[in-house]
Amino acid sequence: MKILVCVKRIPDPDESLKFAGGGLDYSASKWVPNAFDEYAIETALRLAEVVGGTQRLAEVIVLGIGPESQRQQLTQFLAMGADRGIIVDADPDKLDTATVSKLIAAVFKKEAADLLIAGKLSQDNEGGQVPQRVAGLLDVPQASFAATVEWDQAAKALTVGREVDDGVEVKRVPLPAVVSVDLRIVLPKSVKNGSTPATHAYQEGPRLASLKGITMAKRKPVAVLKPSDLGVAVGTNEQVVGVAAPPARKAGQKVKTVEELFEKLTKEAKVI
Amino acid sequence: MTAGNPLLSDRDVAFLLYEVHDAAALLRLPAFADHDRDTFDLFLANARSLAREVLYPAYRPMDEAAPTFTDGRIKVHPRMRTIWPRLCDLGVITASRPVDVGGQQLPRTVALLAEAYLMAANLGAYCYAGLTAGAAHLIEAFGSDDLKDRYMRRMYAGEWTGTMALTEPQAGSSLADIRTRAVPQDDGTYAIQGGKIFISGGDHDIADNIVHLTLARIDGAPAGIKGISLFAIPRLWPGPDGLVDNDVSTAGMIHKIGWRGLPSLVINFGERGACRGELVGYPGHGLSYMFQMMNEARLMVGLNGVATAAVAYHESLAYARERRQGRPAGRRDPHSPPVPIIEHADVRRMLLRQKAIVEGGLSLLIETARLTDLAHHADDEEVRRRSALLLDLLTPIAKSFAAERGYDSNALALQIHGGYGYSSEYLPEAWLRDQKLNSIHEGTTTIHGLDLLGRRALAPGALQTLGREILQTCSQAQAAGLDLADVVALQEAAGAAGALIAELAGRHLADPERMLRHSHDVLDIFMTITVAWQWLRQATAARRALSRGTLSTDDDAFYRGKLQAAQYWLRTELPRVAPLVRLCRDEEDSYANTRPEWF
Repeated sequence: MKILVCVKRIPDPDESLKFAGGGLDYSASKWVPNAFDEYAIETALRLAEVVGGTQRLAEVIVLGIGPESQRQQLTQFLAMGADRGIIVDADPDKLDTATVSKLIAAVFKKEAADLLIAGKLSQDNEGGQVPQRVAGLLDVPQASFAATVEWDQAAKALTVGREVDDGVEVKRVPLPAVVSVDLRIVLPKSVKNGSTPATHAYQEGPRLASLKGITMAKRKPVAVLKPSDLGVAVGTNEQVVGVAAPPARKAGQKVKTVEELFEKLTKEAKVI
Repeated sequence: MTAGNPLLSDRDVAFLLYEVHDAAALLRLPAFADHDRDTFDLFLANARSLAREVLYPAYRPMDEAAPTFTDGRIKVHPRMRTIWPRLCDLGVITASRPVDVGGQQLPRTVALLAEAYLMAANLGAYCYAGLTAGAAHLIEAFGSDDLKDRYMRRMYAGEWTGTMALTEPQAGSSLADIRTRAVPQDDGTYAIQGGKIFISGGDHDIADNIVHLTLARIDGAPAGIKGISLFAIPRLWPGPDGLVDNDVSTAGMIHKIGWRGLPSLVINFGERGACRGELVGYPGHGLSYMFQMMNEARLMVGLNGVATAAVAYHESLAYARERRQGRPAGRRDPHSPPVPIIEHADVRRMLLRQKAIVEGGLSLLIETARLTDLAHHADDEEVRRRSALLLDLLTPIAKSFAAERGYDSNALALQIHGGYGYSSEYLPEAWLRDQKLNSIHEGTTTIHGLDLLGRRALAPGALQTLGREILQTCSQAQAAGLDLADVVALQEAAGAAGALIAELAGRHLADPERMLRHSHDVLDIFMTITVAWQWLRQATAARRALSRGTLSTDDDAFYRGKLQAAQYWLRTELPRVAPLVRLCRDEEDSYANTRPEWF
């Protein structure tokens, strides 16, 4: 089994936004891995490893799209336990969602991967389109917003619990497939691979990389590909017209009587 | 992280590491050649995540519910059971140990900053790892291969923990008076009998076994420090069929006012005459061996002082930005909205003083770590020698600065919180309680004053080495265009301190009591000067960055803040040196000549 996981680097969402020249100013940003991608790698590693043993059930490959020199987030995922990495060397500012999806699909095919695990969205632009597009391009089944995953090794299929508006929808997808993961996938018992004891409780959240893992990560192979190697033309059909902070919230109104409040709710706000 | 205490400023850590202390230069040393800056940054990123997400949320619960002592055993806070394996997994215990003992050979300079985050988050939780690392390092340095196999490897792996067992009820600061006995046995082990007190982490329920690195006297050994040997005494003896009782008992728990996550215990060896220990190294060398761990532990305490001040500083900074009280002088209109208290100059005084102590102290601690790296791994033997000499001189200074000024800093953090700060609803009081221990353990401030003036400052070449470093900083500061008056002030203070030591040494070698009378003030002088030296280095780096121009708004603010804090220390603290020097030189005798019965 081969699992492909994508990582995107994003400006630290905990930093306040800065604006310059009608857009966002990233010049002083600290770059971190997209949190949902961290959940994706955690899911892949839980599927691949057998707790209490040394056996690996799957090869985990991390894919990053961006300048070759900026690979710290990919190294972090290798340090967490992925086996090898692939960088598609391209300027992410010149790629739209459609192109990114094509690149991922091309790598998936080139690797003959069995499973793509992706975060459900990236926290910076919250597009939430890539996994679905990749599944479409590959013409394979998909299960999005996964909260639980169970791997039926014999049947080569996954049973995925999807978070939907009114609860959890359970879906069975044969491999190869695309799964996008949501926050609850990193709860202690969300991922089962059929070999790690089903009672095993993982630490909640994505694992940290150990220092040993970090030093070992640098010895793991990382292939660098150009978009042209994958037969994908780079370009974008998206254009940022402008970015502005939302208007500041207006001050509230103070009312003297219940009658006045009722009046305002019915006539002004028209909510009653 | 969103709206949480950052523990330390990430920006400041990167600045100190790369722009002031040039950690990248360490990568050129063969010992660190396998690393790169990404390794440093990723390790720090993972350490700070563990600190912020796991250790910090457990701090208050661990402060509120200290370990319990029932039926002769200690139970620590249940959260430690999840924290301990995660600390071990991260690799903090062996981060800077050599590869051949299972470490990752990371520079101490980088490992220290990871520890700073963890300590700022939860000092008690971290210190199980710190103590285990120090104890295992003693076996690594002085133990036989057999001891390394049976003890050190398990300790470095976090399967067992370690302690340092020195103090006895009648022998605290005065270790020459210890009485714990060791009697040689036919099988090469020693029968141990005695009692130790204030043993941090001496019992717990987070790992299978505890190895006490213990000072004891072999029967027939000479009195005083030459008769002291070092022993590894496991709580449970590793026998062929597993761990068996080794007659090590927990006799009591100290009810501490701080550091409540980490138990401090009375440990008895051989109550039933059945405790065995194993000699580490040669007989009679115990205290000199233990100085390795003590010197490491002193720097760990120093770092803890900085970390405990740092977390409180950030708490009070956030509070001062939010809390609205009063109106600026000259704008008393009661209809105008009150301003955040950071708008008041005196609140900014308290914040800037904390910043100066925290970031100046951290820089001094990083310097000691860099010297540790160079002392062990520099190519040039002369660099190794000078680094060791300077490290030896700076150790009591860095430890005492962080403990004493750190306490001032923690008091200011509480002060900024006003009446709320004086309540247990808010955290600054807890950090203030924690901080107080740092001027007591690993040598009280008194001991370090005596040690500095009576021994370390007199080591041939030590003060000259410090003087050269300070001069070099001064010339770089001047070249960067910093105010000449500040540069000259530091040079003069350093010169005066050096002259004072020479004068005291010359005048009073025959009369140590008079020579050491003002040891506390001498320590204060060196604390103030060495931190001024660190601030001048930081100001130099900041000035250079500002002159390069084209900075982001954040960076511009960051560097300007550095210049202000440097100015604060150089112009309001450094001038204290001259009167202190006069006091020492004049041998002011108020307390020296006050008889005990006059109190």
